[in-house]
Amino acid sequence: MAIIQTNNLSKVYGSGDAVVTALRDVSLTVETGEFVAVMGPSGCGKSTLLHLIGGLDRPTAGTIQLDGDDLSRLSDTRLTEVRRRKIGFVFQFFNLIPVLDAVENAALPLILDGMKLAAARATAAEWLQRVGLDGQTSHRPDQLSGGQQQRVAIARALATEPALVLADEPTGNLDSRASDEVAGLLRQVADEWQRAVLMVTHDPRIAAYADRIVFLKDGSIIDQARLNGTPLEGAQLVRDKVEAL
Amino acid sequence: MSIQLTLAARYMAGRKLRTFLTTLAVIFGVTIVFGLNGLLPAFSEAFRQNMLASAGKIDLTVTSASGGTFEAEVIAPVRSVNGIDEATPILRQNAILPTGQAVNAVTVVGVDPESFSQVRPHSLVLGRYLQAGDKNALVLGEKLAEEMGLKLGDIFTLPSAAGATDFAVVGVIATQGVLGVEEVYVPLSTAQAMFNQAGRLNTIEARFAAQADRVQVAAAVQAQLGNRFKLGEIEGGGQFLSALAMGQIVLNLFGVLALAMGGFIILNTFRTVVAERRRDIGMLRALGATRGMVVGIILAESLLQGLLGTAIGMLIGAGLAYSLIGLIRPIFEQFLHMSFTGRPVFDIPVFIWALVLGVGITMLSGLLPAISASRVVPLEALRPMVGVAAQRAARRGAWVGAGLIGLAALTLISGAPKAAAAGAFLVLIGLVLAGPALVRPIALLFGRLLTVIFAREGQIAQGNMTRQPGRAAITASAMMIGLALIIACAGMMSSMEEGIGRYLAKSMGSDFLLMPASLVLGGGNVGASPELAQAIRDTPGVQDVTTLRLANSEARGTALQLVGIEPESFARVGGMEFMLGSEAQIYQELRNGRGIILNGVFAVRNPVQLGEWVTLKTPDGERAYQVVGVGSDLLNAKAATGFISQANLAADFHESNDLLLMVNKTPEAEVTAVRSALDGLVKQYPALTVMESTEWRETMIGMFGKVVGSLYFVLIALAIPSLIALVNTLAINVIERTREIGVIRAVGGTRRQVQRMILAESLLLAILGIAFGILAGLWLGYSLVGAVGVVGFKLTYFFPATSVLIATAVGLIFGVIAALLPARQAAQLQIVRALRYE
Ligand SMILES: Nc1ncnc2c1ncn2[C@@H]1O[C@H](COP(=O)(O)OP(=O)(O)OP(=O)(O)O)[C@@H](O)[C@H]1O
Ligand SMILES: [Mg+2]
Repeated sequence: MAIIQTNNLSKVYGSGDAVVTALRDVSLTVETGEFVAVMGPSGCGKSTLLHLIGGLDRPTAGTIQLDGDDLSRLSDTRLTEVRRRKIGFVFQFFNLIPVLDAVENAALPLILDGMKLAAARATAAEWLQRVGLDGQTSHRPDQLSGGQQQRVAIARALATEPALVLADEPTGNLDSRASDEVAGLLRQVADEWQRAVLMVTHDPRIAAYADRIVFLKDGSIIDQARLNGTPLEGAQLVRDKVEAL
Repeated sequence: MSIQLTLAARYMAGRKLRTFLTTLAVIFGVTIVFGLNGLLPAFSEAFRQNMLASAGKIDLTVTSASGGTFEAEVIAPVRSVNGIDEATPILRQNAILPTGQAVNAVTVVGVDPESFSQVRPHSLVLGRYLQAGDKNALVLGEKLAEEMGLKLGDIFTLPSAAGATDFAVVGVIATQGVLGVEEVYVPLSTAQAMFNQAGRLNTIEARFAAQADRVQVAAAVQAQLGNRFKLGEIEGGGQFLSALAMGQIVLNLFGVLALAMGGFIILNTFRTVVAERRRDIGMLRALGATRGMVVGIILAESLLQGLLGTAIGMLIGAGLAYSLIGLIRPIFEQFLHMSFTGRPVFDIPVFIWALVLGVGITMLSGLLPAISASRVVPLEALRPMVGVAAQRAARRGAWVGAGLIGLAALTLISGAPKAAAAGAFLVLIGLVLAGPALVRPIALLFGRLLTVIFAREGQIAQGNMTRQPGRAAITASAMMIGLALIIACAGMMSSMEEGIGRYLAKSMGSDFLLMPASLVLGGGNVGASPELAQAIRDTPGVQDVTTLRLANSEARGTALQLVGIEPESFARVGGMEFMLGSEAQIYQELRNGRGIILNGVFAVRNPVQLGEWVTLKTPDGERAYQVVGVGSDLLNAKAATGFISQANLAADFHESNDLLLMVNKTPEAEVTAVRSALDGLVKQYPALTVMESTEWRETMIGMFGKVVGSLYFVLIALAIPSLIALVNTLAINVIERTREIGVIRAVGGTRRQVQRMILAESLLLAILGIAFGILAGLWLGYSLVGAVGVVGFKLTYFFPATSVLIATAVGLIFGVIAALLPARQAAQLQIVRALRYE
């Protein structure tokens, strides 16, 4: 079942001489349980695409169907609700609230959704354990390493059991070991918990964890590749593709 | 706890200094509002207690509605009312004792011994009570006897209209004084003779029969007497209480202003809070927090801060009230002879008022930043933090502000004093709005100057300040209110000082004054019978004499003090300034028929035309007087007053004692010779003192100066929130630039340089506040002085040069003090931590 379906999605920034077309007629479908990586040179519109799909920004033209809703038609309040219930975000900069500890951060979307504090904490703690962070649950973000912070962010993204997880360069600030762990986690998110995952990355090794890779250039999809071999083969394939571009 | 409150509490705890300073701003205002409101009931309570203590045994008092004396026969209808057990006639009058005595004033109570002891039983301590047939016998209270060192059989001399009268002390009783003035009891007939009031009374006191229905009896008495008389109320109380109410309003105003300054501080804090947390807020939005939730988080924080500040402010306010009571009690007991057992009273309304103001202003100041926080879009969470770039000054605010100031200028030019006074407040608002746009030019101007002293640091400071023109402007606004008040009040004071000097010269222009030791017209002072004035007229070297007499009345529902003048001599020796009518004609018309000059205080409340008739309450019923002029003199500048001829005052108000005499000498006469002649004459009248007018004028101006001096203290205290504002802003700046400061230190900047940088910035901010404050303060002062003219007291504006200097000095000192803590903090930052700081 398609969880996301975009139709001729375009985004234009600025006006007059300073017009930048960040996205041009992008049509993309992501299925439930599918892990898709988006790659492309800097400034090609990867983040813009994620922002539009995540309901953080509105398209200039085209439509986005998310689990049956047309995002471009929703009011701000409804859009906020969709973000809260159906989407989980993981960002490059870990974006945890500095004054809340790990459990509280992971529980935040649940609390925002009106769940009782104790229940929210319990659920969050469970997810922290699942992503492999059970020792430091009462630590504040500045007491956690980058990889640990990113696990908290992933737990937070999963806590509401969203249909879709969006990750914008989730490994951009991590070393290669931590990157592998985070990518493995996202793989698990798709396989075990049947979420759709859309991830932006520059790293071919990390992209190789995905089921499918979408290549963007100057705001348009120029190529796609399905991976079914070993991660090593996948990485090689991606490297070849990137070089070809 | 809800997520809003959790986040609020955590964020606050993470910024302790800033939270403390912001809370301090709330605390200060609440302390004033709460403490003083709690204190005031103690004063009214003390007053009421003293009234009751002395009047405890009295069921009913009857006085004339106009406040004057009435014929003794009125006692008969009172006695005839069913349910009245006994009624007693009384003539009471305040008497000032000659200087040099232990007590300077007593209330002489002329009583009918038999009926009086029925109505007001006394417990005798020594000797005997007054008896029928006594003539110059006197009974006094225990405390007074002790203070004056009087024993049975001693002579007590009282001033009187007929000269001094000697009394033998025959008894001492245990009583308390009314209003702090001790009572002495003498036979009624003697008192009537003493005060030139043969056959007249001013009070009847009555006792009810045992089972009488109090309300019914009182109503029956009122029905018998008609509306010339009023029941129950003890004279003087109303005035005192309304003065208290006025004081309460003024103090509350101070509290509200202090809180308004606090509001600016809070506004600044929350603006920074929002700027600092844009990313957190953006992320909350990305995670699905609604706009309402974001507003809720910021408001929750301001609620916490408001509650915290209000709670602490209440505690300190209560402490302040208790310690002030401790200070005030001895003053009351020693100087006013009032027992002062009151304690601060904090009842529900005081709590509510403090809470509403404290929390209300905090939340209100948090609202704008909260709304701007809710506009943060989720995408802000995703952009990497690019330090806060310099803000652009708000253009629209500047235009609106300039518009308001322009409007205010128009009101000033229009010449309508009331509009101009209102306009002055527009200037305040206009400056607050235009502030951000003015920051740059002022910073550039004074930044040059600072560069001379601070070299490079000055330039950096100047740049830093202009980065956040909004914040600098709000800080300056808080300071502006404080300093503007100082300067405006100072402008008023110096103009009034100058104006009073001028008025004194005009309305008290005679060479000599004979007046009661304490000059409060209307206080029931004993004057002198007309013989004294005649004797002075006959003294060699005296050219002219005029006198003032006094009575109380009521017109158009307001209490009206009546001054009896002798038009012809008053025009020559005394004088006043007229706003309506021509001088020569007014005095002429005052002599024919019933004419009255009303003063500005009355005219403002009850606009009158020349030739109009006003009805005055007299002891014998109502009399119509025709308005012949409107004008003001100095003595009566505060009370609604009418001036009528002494002939009319005697006919309608039965008052023919002179309360104040003005004397001019002939040009060739020696001052000292005339003075000693006057001193000789006045010996018989201990209530009066002779003064050379120049000497008296100096005393008056000196007294005024003392009042002004103490007012300055209050004003400077009021400027304290501006100090908090400065510290707060600097602390915010240091926090915000932690990383930059780290970089400066890393590339070799010394701690001293960092400190000087903060100091220079503090001084620049202070200068901005001073500049705003001086401009607004002069404007406010100028238009307020104009508005005072409306109340019938024309003043010319006097530039308060000293106060401008004082305000500047206070502002600069505050600038230095404010920099101390933040500068220390900045200098002690650990470089590595500062660089890691986000
Ligand atoms: N708010 C904005 N205003 C104007 N132009 C923007 C804005 N956001 C993005 N752009 C432009 O849109 C284009 C696409 O930006 P986007 O952030 O999507 O790139 P990206 O593929 O994520 O790049 P990177 O790999 O460097 O993160 C870029 O040319 C960028 O300059
Ligand atoms: Mg990007």
